[in-house]
Amino acid sequence: MQFKQQTLPNGLTIIAEVNPSAASMAAGFFVRTGSRDESPTLPISGVSHFLEHMMFKGTDRRSPFDINREFDEMGAAYNAFTSEENTVYFGAVLPEFQNRVLDLLADMMRPALREDDFQTEKKVILEEIALYQDRPQFRLYEKIMASHFGEHPLSHSVLGTPESIQALKRDDMLDYFNRRYSPGNVTLVATGNLDWDALVDKASSSCGHWKAYSVSRDTPESLGTRQSDAIVDAKLLRQHIGTMSAGPGAQDERRYAACVLTTILGDVVGSRLFYALVEPAIAEEASCTYEPLDGTGIFVTFISADPDRASEAVKIARDEYDKFMVDGPTDQEMDAARNKIASAATIKGELPMGRLTALGFDWVYRQEYKPLADHIERIFAVTSEQVHELAKQCDLNATTTLTLGPNE
Amino acid sequence: MAEEFFTREFDNGLTLVAQPMAQVSSSAITIALPAGASRDPADSAGSASTASLWLLRGAGDRDTRQINDVLDSLGCQHHEAAQSEHLLVSAAQLGRNLPKVLEVYADILGRPRLTDETFIPCRDLVAQILDGLEDEPMRNCHVLMREKFYPSPLGRNPLGTKESLSGLKPESLRKHLKNHLTPNGTIMAVAGNFDWKELSETVEKHFGDWNGPTPDEVSTSPAEQGATHITKDTAQVQITLAYPAATINDELNYAARITQMILCGGMGARLFTEVREKRALVYAVVARYHSLKDFAGLFVYAGTTPQRAQETLDVTVGELRRLAEGVGEDELARARTQLKSALIMQGESTSARADALAGDFFHLGRLRGLDEISAAIDAVTVQDVMEYVHAFPAENLTTLTIGPDKLQAPNPT
Repeated sequence: MQFKQQTLPNGLTIIAEVNPSAASMAAGFFVRTGSRDESPTLPISGVSHFLEHMMFKGTDRRSPFDINREFDEMGAAYNAFTSEENTVYFGAVLPEFQNRVLDLLADMMRPALREDDFQTEKKVILEEIALYQDRPQFRLYEKIMASHFGEHPLSHSVLGTPESIQALKRDDMLDYFNRRYSPGNVTLVATGNLDWDALVDKASSSCGHWKAYSVSRDTPESLGTRQSDAIVDAKLLRQHIGTMSAGPGAQDERRYAACVLTTILGDVVGSRLFYALVEPAIAEEASCTYEPLDGTGIFVTFISADPDRASEAVKIARDEYDKFMVDGPTDQEMDAARNKIASAATIKGELPMGRLTALGFDWVYRQEYKPLADHIERIFAVTSEQVHELAKQCDLNATTTLTLGPNE
Repeated sequence: MAEEFFTREFDNGLTLVAQPMAQVSSSAITIALPAGASRDPADSAGSASTASLWLLRGAGDRDTRQINDVLDSLGCQHHEAAQSEHLLVSAAQLGRNLPKVLEVYADILGRPRLTDETFIPCRDLVAQILDGLEDEPMRNCHVLMREKFYPSPLGRNPLGTKESLSGLKPESLRKHLKNHLTPNGTIMAVAGNFDWKELSETVEKHFGDWNGPTPDEVSTSPAEQGATHITKDTAQVQITLAYPAATINDELNYAARITQMILCGGMGARLFTEVREKRALVYAVVARYHSLKDFAGLFVYAGTTPQRAQETLDVTVGELRRLAEGVGEDELARARTQLKSALIMQGESTSARADALAGDFFHLGRLRGLDEISAAIDAVTVQDVMEYVHAFPAENLTTLTIGPDKLQAPNPT
């Protein structure tokens, strides 16, 4: 496994973890932009995600159908995703297609944004918004992010609303593109069985002419609003509950302890929430996860329960967190959590696609390269004192709470 | 590097199949037990799902917590699921922990405690998961579609019904499991980092004294099929269609997979191009191939807002039927590349490999190497695809929709 890095004169950084024994290679453009970078004063809510769709709709050289066809001709596994703070375009192919997939991805990164394609794709975005309306956990997540972050830019919805999407103009999108897709704000990441020199050559010829300009992002910390709300939806059978509290950011060394903490508290099986809620069938689902974000972070708890046991379930979860903040973890829990995390990371890291996001986000958030073994070492170095201390510092029960379901 | 496969059949009926993989440190296990939901007693649907939770509530010398603790400390990521034909137990961990994990699973499968007090919460959890399905119409329509499409009881919802679950009793489920958690007909597949001799000895040591009867064959009654609409106030209409396809052991299987790829192999395939890219009717439209041992189907899904639902259904059905007018060499070439590429990339994942080994052995009674599958894919011609499309036409579609209003069913051709 070999790490490579180079920055082109226009600021585009290329990084790669080369693994000659892999059967495939994966490449992706990681753009440091998302809904948090959308201006709240303009009618552009959802533009980052809509733009991600438009990047597949053709360039000066390619029609939308050309793009899809070429990916298919390579047998590529390809897609893109947009979050509050990243937009990522990626493809995994057999090594023989390295040059071709890069040619395609790089070309896509300078899209034509044609008006008729824009109007057509708008309908697809509206369908996607409707799709998520039928998925309660997603609805809950979007609303609790808005509620928890309040005035903070991380409160912005990724999808936007039907109204904001209807109102969005093609020129608004072009303007957003011209403010966010500067080469200095983009990282080309590659993993697997790849030819590094060819990668740099291809990136230079395809992306070297991209014009650079300055891009910024404010990354204030957020402690969350800690408010409580309920969305009543009598059509639902289950009560879906989310709570959110502040955690360490992506640049904070305590993120390793945070991973161990949430594995102990809220892993799907064998965690405190599992024994307190799922094993006795008080809730069908109860999990706690940690999400490191740019400059801040969150602990997220999800519970799905019978409506008539929902408040009991929430109280039990809170009691578990209180108890943990007093007593901290047991040695047995520390050992199990560390092994679970290490094993999961190893298995994910065996696939070039699995390694791509880990490598990319290490760079986007921290401008660092860490081999998988170093990450695992850091997980094993976390002590029970650090986990206990973190739980107290963050106050896991200082939460923003939102419930969705038949209950008031 | 040449692939290597191992198979060993034990006296008690257990079959061990394995493929070592260089360059990985993990190893994955998939155990397919003949205790799937289709074998649930007629009045006790949901038995296999309840069992998938109950098995982990203590086994051998360990209680629930000790089972979880030992698996966690071995870094074992495990999953239990009730499917139609099998109760599927899968586990992935570092290869060096494989022998210890197998020892724990020998307890889980051979000496589960199955106590009365752990039974009720497991059954209640299944009932809650069933309720949760109602809140997720997209997931629900797939479950309901299988129920309509496949002969009974092969397609029935593994979660059972409210009524069947409330009638489940620990003593009868224990009895049922005694006859179905059995090495006879069980396939254990292992892929990844291991030494065959050591693996074979470990399995012999821990599973060699496991005994049980051969489960009865499942007798089926014809599928209901036809058109079903479920009225529900959803944001999108969930549209599902299904029609028969060649099973995995059918010689037309490779043509079936190519046909599915032509419809839905990527964003350039027919369904995505016509339904989404040209008409923007949907965000999601997919065609999946699914095969049981004796029945298989092409399952098509599209989700769209109510006012565009009829057009979406009509365009989608039109695409399925347009296959009969011919397919291009270029489409076939893309489909071949996509199938082979997916195969190689899945081959990098130990869990995906273990699942594939178990599937091959169940459906074909043998294991297929990459070379064999690649050659078979390359051999499919346009004429083969057309023969297939005529043998398995998009007629007599089973349709199921969930949404505010009923749609007009597709006309018979």
